[in-house]
Amino acid sequence: MSTQETRPVQANPLIFAIALGTGGLLSLMVHLNGELARAGTPLFASWAAHGTGTVAALVLLALFYRFAGKTGRKAPAPFWAYLGGISGAATVILSSFAVNSPVGLPGTMALGLAGQLAFSASADKWGLFGLQKRSLTARDFVALALVLTGSTLIILSGSQ
Amino acid sequence: MTIFVLSACLAGILVSLSRQLNGRLSFATSPLIASFWNHLVGFGLLTAVGLAIGGLIPAGALDAPWYAYLGGPVGVVFVAAGSWVITRIGAMNTALMIIGGQMTGSVAINLLKSAESTFWMASLGVVLIIAGMIISQRRATD
Repeated sequence: MSTQETRPVQANPLIFAIALGTGGLLSLMVHLNGELARAGTPLFASWAAHGTGTVAALVLLALFYRFAGKTGRKAPAPFWAYLGGISGAATVILSSFAVNSPVGLPGTMALGLAGQLAFSASADKWGLFGLQKRSLTARDFVALALVLTGSTLIILSGSQ
Repeated sequence: MTIFVLSACLAGILVSLSRQLNGRLSFATSPLIASFWNHLVGFGLLTAVGLAIGGLIPAGALDAPWYAYLGGPVGVVFVAAGSWVITRIGAMNTALMIIGGQMTGSVAINLLKSAESTFWMASLGVVLIIAGMIISQRRATD
């Protein structure tokens, strides 16, 4: 009955591969921002990264507007869709607060991943923020448990 | 202690929320435009916070190597790609793949830096993550 609902919009393995590569990019970004934070503070690192990022995005838009700009006639986004940056910036402040506590870096990272996965699962289940509603299966929870356990091991190994 | 645990969880929730909001914006504009707004709005907020509490540019901050500043441009591509992906495979699959890529990526960076880590633990972690990703991928292509 819910087959239609549980099927992703496009189940193309290429999109999964791109998402995986995006995660690799994130590890590079965390490493680079970590260098900035080591010289200054986490707030400075995030501020500088957002500033240089804004400039980089403008340059990329100027160069590739034809491909990367707005295409076709689309309904305007609701105002709250512009608030992703607030949520992102607040993350830095909250996690540096938790890191400098008994929770520590590994704890902050593992709890953060758990929070991220739990909220993503809820967003899919209820179709929050314009996402397509998708019911969760036992397979989803097995995948979630494996990724979370694997990540915790990597964090505890001292690799992160 | 509870407040610190809650902060760490909330930080993770906000990562996911941010990706959902940027995804919604990219749906109405484009992934690169969504990434631009994400960085501009975040920069505005962090500037305000920095000015309010002081010490936005701490002493020694400018001693960081030049390449450390490439984190921002890398982040632009990261946010744009995440916004593009989430509208196609959903929040949970996106989070699983990005976390998998991030964790295996950080193990690789650590090996390259030959920093100290418990190798068997990191390897077992990578194996579990790959297993998890194969499982979620199977479901998506069923």
